[in-house]
Amino acid sequence: MSALFLIGALPLLLALLGFVPGLARRLPGLAAVLMAAELALVAHVCRPVLGGQRPVLLAPGFAIDGLAAGFLLLTVGIVTAAVVQSAFLFPAERRAHPPAGTRPGGVIDGRLGLFYTLTALFLLAMVAVLTAQNLGYLWIAMEATTLMSAPLVYFHRSRNSLEATWKYLLLCSVGIAFALFGTVLLFAASQRPGDEGGTLALAGLLERARALDPRLLRLSFVFCLLGYGTKAGLFPLHNWLPDAHSEAPAPASAMLSGALLNCALVALWRISGIVIASGHAAVVRQTMIPMGTLTVLAASFMLVRQHDLKRMWAYSSVEHVGLLTLAMGLGSGSLFLLHAINHSLVKTALFLMAGSVLHLYGTKSLGKLTGLLRAAPGWAVVVTLAALAVAGSPPFGTFVSEWLLLQTAFGAGQVWAAGLVMVGLTVTFVAVTGHVGRILFGPAPALAVELPPRWWLLVPVVLMALSLLGGAAVSPRVLVVLSTLSQGGSIR
Amino acid sequence: MHYSDIDRFAALAATMGVWMCGLTRVHNLVWALAVQTGVLGVIAVLVGVEYAAPGYYVLAGAVIAIKALAIPWFLDYTAARVGVRRDLGAVLNPTLALLAAIGAMAAGYFLAPRIVPLQSTASGAAGMAVSLLLIGMLLMLTRRLAISQVIGFLVLENGIFLYALTQTHGIPLMVEMGIVLDVLVGVMIAGVVIFRLNRSFEHIDVTQLRGLKE
Repeated sequence: MSALFLIGALPLLLALLGFVPGLARRLPGLAAVLMAAELALVAHVCRPVLGGQRPVLLAPGFAIDGLAAGFLLLTVGIVTAAVVQSAFLFPAERRAHPPAGTRPGGVIDGRLGLFYTLTALFLLAMVAVLTAQNLGYLWIAMEATTLMSAPLVYFHRSRNSLEATWKYLLLCSVGIAFALFGTVLLFAASQRPGDEGGTLALAGLLERARALDPRLLRLSFVFCLLGYGTKAGLFPLHNWLPDAHSEAPAPASAMLSGALLNCALVALWRISGIVIASGHAAVVRQTMIPMGTLTVLAASFMLVRQHDLKRMWAYSSVEHVGLLTLAMGLGSGSLFLLHAINHSLVKTALFLMAGSVLHLYGTKSLGKLTGLLRAAPGWAVVVTLAALAVAGSPPFGTFVSEWLLLQTAFGAGQVWAAGLVMVGLTVTFVAVTGHVGRILFGPAPALAVELPPRWWLLVPVVLMALSLLGGAAVSPRVLVVLSTLSQGGSIR
Repeated sequence: MHYSDIDRFAALAATMGVWMCGLTRVHNLVWALAVQTGVLGVIAVLVGVEYAAPGYYVLAGAVIAIKALAIPWFLDYTAARVGVRRDLGAVLNPTLALLAAIGAMAAGYFLAPRIVPLQSTASGAAGMAVSLLLIGMLLMLTRRLAISQVIGFLVLENGIFLYALTQTHGIPLMVEMGIVLDVLVGVMIAGVVIFRLNRSFEHIDVTQLRGLKE
């Protein structure tokens, strides 16, 4: 069977099931089963590519190369985790806030169908972004991810979520429009006098990299960095991100932070690869390293004065996007891939736990969240471990990749960047442990609902176990494999 | 510098953009956008004639049908349903915005040599494309209503489309059509969000959306 069918059929089926009336009650469980099967299928399709075989062609202009295979597995894994958790969370929310009462935070059956339809289409758009071997298709798919995920933010139908949806839709569309201009400029740069025309195919661009018009190429990279950087939440273009990621329901927040940010960064990585191949690596270094460093520093200071649990994790995502941009600026594909995996696992666990905590307490205000250690000891342990991991403590994978990143930065002579990032990481650690400490200790207030059953912890625990594995498994050989994968940028 | 018909129509589209910055009635703003986009459709036909490439006629048809007719109609319908008539501007009043837009057009003219590909046959249009891009941003920044911001975004997108149309040759039709489709879906989703904004807040004034400050 063709790879396209294997990967695309189940999400398409899920998207259609969302429209079937009367299915809403069963849909969360059904979606979880479908996504688990989808994860297995994607793993099956990606395995040969990850093992070093030739890229798998999906459709003209779309193929699973090494980079796509790595991120595809990660993205589908994150979406599966979010959908499985939603099968616990949504029915519980439905019971807590019966359909008749349309109070904010309640779940109504009609929305569930829309949620799963959009989630499935959102996943397909992300798959298209990751596998696109043509920058034009990549742009179209990237805009589609915004369009499909914006209604997810509005799931709770509150005023704040509506405002967040508007900001997300508008700012990301404008940002992405700049990336479109950058893409068109790149096409213009690839034209040669007397030639039939330019190209947007990655393979074609890499092939004629040396012949690209350097003036237009530099401009193109700056516009793409601004555009896809907005989508990734780079400072100072991050404005919309904390709003959207905190107002969305927890499973959607997890997908936005854990999966979608990576997609924008993969686009930047592919474009920076072309710029480097053209012999203008300095442009990539001089823009991405300062922007990444500044993002880490700014996000860490903004983390200090948060009073909303999900907003805090959203700012932490901005910080990690900064680290990933730094890794790209340093030209280290292995660290980009490694840290993206580590961050996505941990951040998904955190957002899913935040959703559970919000359900349990009925609030996400840090001022009112206290005494988790007494209210739900098991949850408290998982939240603590995940918070320590996201702040970069050993023995989790994030610590290893952050350590290697600092080492690489010092090694490349980027002493300033490395020093400032160290300041940022320290501030982050203090801020996160401070906030989480207040959640854990103190008296437990009256809870909004009874403590949910133990299997609510299943998905976060699995994600944290994988993160631990990510810390333990790193060896020079693994880094070489990751580096090779990240360079598998095109098909012949 | 030699100017072609394409350059002249591009200048017309940019002038329409300048004019839009001074308009306050939403209805007029929408139809100015429609005319401007229609001009881009004409340019697509001219480019098709120049390169003898029939693909451009298909593109011109899609641009006129979707971006110059369907989208403005939808925006006009939305404005009428929501009941907004005038947008008097937030940061700059429309008169000052008009002056700023003339500045943007001049900036586009002077920036043009930096972004014209070597083999461009319509080098004047490149500057007009950049000025449309700047004018779109200006509209988004200086207007009050959510619907005007959508219009500003579409002007910005028109600028990019004008550049792609006049300065490059052979962007795959699939890519261009995909972009038009994305824009259409985006405007429709924005329209739904505008209806919801109006229902929840009883206005669509984005300067009053301040629930999500730190």
